[in-house]
Amino acid sequence: MTTRIQDATVTAAPTDIGRRRFMLRASALPLGAAALSAATSRPARAAVKTSAHIVIAGSGLGGVAIANRLSRELDGAKITIVDRKEIHNYQPGYTLVATGIWPVAKVSDRNADLLPGRVEWVKDMAAGFDPDANTLVTEGGQRIRYDYLVVATGLHLDFAQIDGMDVSAIGANGLTSVYPGPQAAQATWLAMDAFRRQGGEALMTLPATPLKCAGAPLKMTFMLVDRLREAGMRASSKVGFHSALDNIFSVKPVNDDVLRRWADLDVPVTFNSKLVGIDIGARRATFLTPEGERNELGYDFIHVVPPMRAPDAVKNSPLAWQDGPFAAGGWLEVDKDTLRHRRYPNVFGLGDINGTPRGKTAATIKKSAPLVARNLIDVIAGGEPSQRFDGYTSCPLLLREGSALLVEFDYEGRLVPSLPMIEPLQDSYFAWLMKYRLLKPAYMAVAKGRV
Amino acid sequence: MYEIWLGLNIVFELALTALPWLGGAAAVWIALMSAALLRRHAHWREALPASLVIGATFAALAVWLVPFVTRSSISEMGYWVDWANLIGLSVAVGGLAFAFVWPLLTAVSGPRQDTPTSGQPT
Repeated sequence: MTTRIQDATVTAAPTDIGRRRFMLRASALPLGAAALSAATSRPARAAVKTSAHIVIAGSGLGGVAIANRLSRELDGAKITIVDRKEIHNYQPGYTLVATGIWPVAKVSDRNADLLPGRVEWVKDMAAGFDPDANTLVTEGGQRIRYDYLVVATGLHLDFAQIDGMDVSAIGANGLTSVYPGPQAAQATWLAMDAFRRQGGEALMTLPATPLKCAGAPLKMTFMLVDRLREAGMRASSKVGFHSALDNIFSVKPVNDDVLRRWADLDVPVTFNSKLVGIDIGARRATFLTPEGERNELGYDFIHVVPPMRAPDAVKNSPLAWQDGPFAAGGWLEVDKDTLRHRRYPNVFGLGDINGTPRGKTAATIKKSAPLVARNLIDVIAGGEPSQRFDGYTSCPLLLREGSALLVEFDYEGRLVPSLPMIEPLQDSYFAWLMKYRLLKPAYMAVAKGRV
Repeated sequence: MYEIWLGLNIVFELALTALPWLGGAAAVWIALMSAALLRRHAHWREALPASLVIGATFAALAVWLVPFVTRSSISEMGYWVDWANLIGLSVAVGGLAFAFVWPLLTAVSGPRQDTPTSGQPT
């Protein structure tokens, strides 16, 4: 590496001053929000001087959040973000769109509005990594050298593992999936709306791979039941859940609580039943047991949750886990505590791409983006990462329109409420309000690198 | 502390999404305050009880309306944290109503009986 650290001085005071300034400005919100916006978008004084070139692969929440933080906290660094996407989608809002709660327009913003001005934006996709040469290769053939790399590419929805699946057909013939994007979420709602008017048989699915927003398949199930109940069609409909695992959620207290609720709502669960094929026109789905038995079931409505893995750019690179439980998915080999690559010390990982236990949510990034920024700055300053991540993540689990659970947990699967008064397994209006109205503003603050 | 900082940021981001409304409301409030402050012999104290009653009425209505406009209902208040949030939001609505109504009533209220307008010495 050729990084030259110029007068590396790490001080907390400028950041504190910046925060105090912001707090003062925020107190004047009702009278001067416009002026406030302009003022707070100004970068605070940098704490560390460096001429390092930092490349960020991916402009999702993780990439944008760390770009904002680094551009503010480093003085003199060259920061490049690599991603072709112009639109920034608020993915936690997909379940709200897919269940008829939010309009689809509410989940899309422009990446240009979120990226700091001092960051170079390469509008291309990462196609591969050569960490031995400190180089990222784009699909367009550019070779971008870096001193430090932050991998925040997100993950790949591997619909191809389901025979007959066609993402473009989502919304037709009762085929739904909340995951691919805003349009799929909207199409899912239209299909759900049609289904709830006529009733019938619904199949909800869960694959065996690590998932982003692992609560989404559960939310979709709860909300489908609620929509059927609202339409007066619950009694004439069947809703069944097929899990490729022997559970439906990796946190046992949540798993047990949801199973109890589904028993009350008459939602039977078939464990170890993996969706492997679908005939969209005939509305038939094929499930596979661990023993190799194939079961073909008809449906009127199906929610497909794809297997997930690392994008090829990471999976096929030396950055992926080479063995162990995360190797099959090609997830990024990071230390789960520091989120620093275990073999390439100038590489960090952020968000869904990380091969760590649990935690592929926006809440994970809310907690880990400041930590990765701090640890990277520690390394740039010639030290070792000072921060440790506990694996915090959160899932506001929709139960029905108007009520949710606010579940927060760590790597170990322990429930860790942010505020001690929060009861994670209590039906709650507050949790609903968070999901419905407050989490997107929180997300935007994370993206802008403020929280 | 982090949760307080997060909460401030949420309020800030919410405000950004409603800037035109906030600007309009601020302009109306400044106009009301100006009218009340520029009025000779403004009756702030006399307008206070009615303003408080109106503010409290708004707060009471908000207990029912806030869940409704957030696509929930009062029957979804699961435990005391829900009630505390709902009451807090309702008090904020009532306080906002009070902040507009008090200068309004002050500006439009008639002269006091004991003011010099009667022509008698005070």
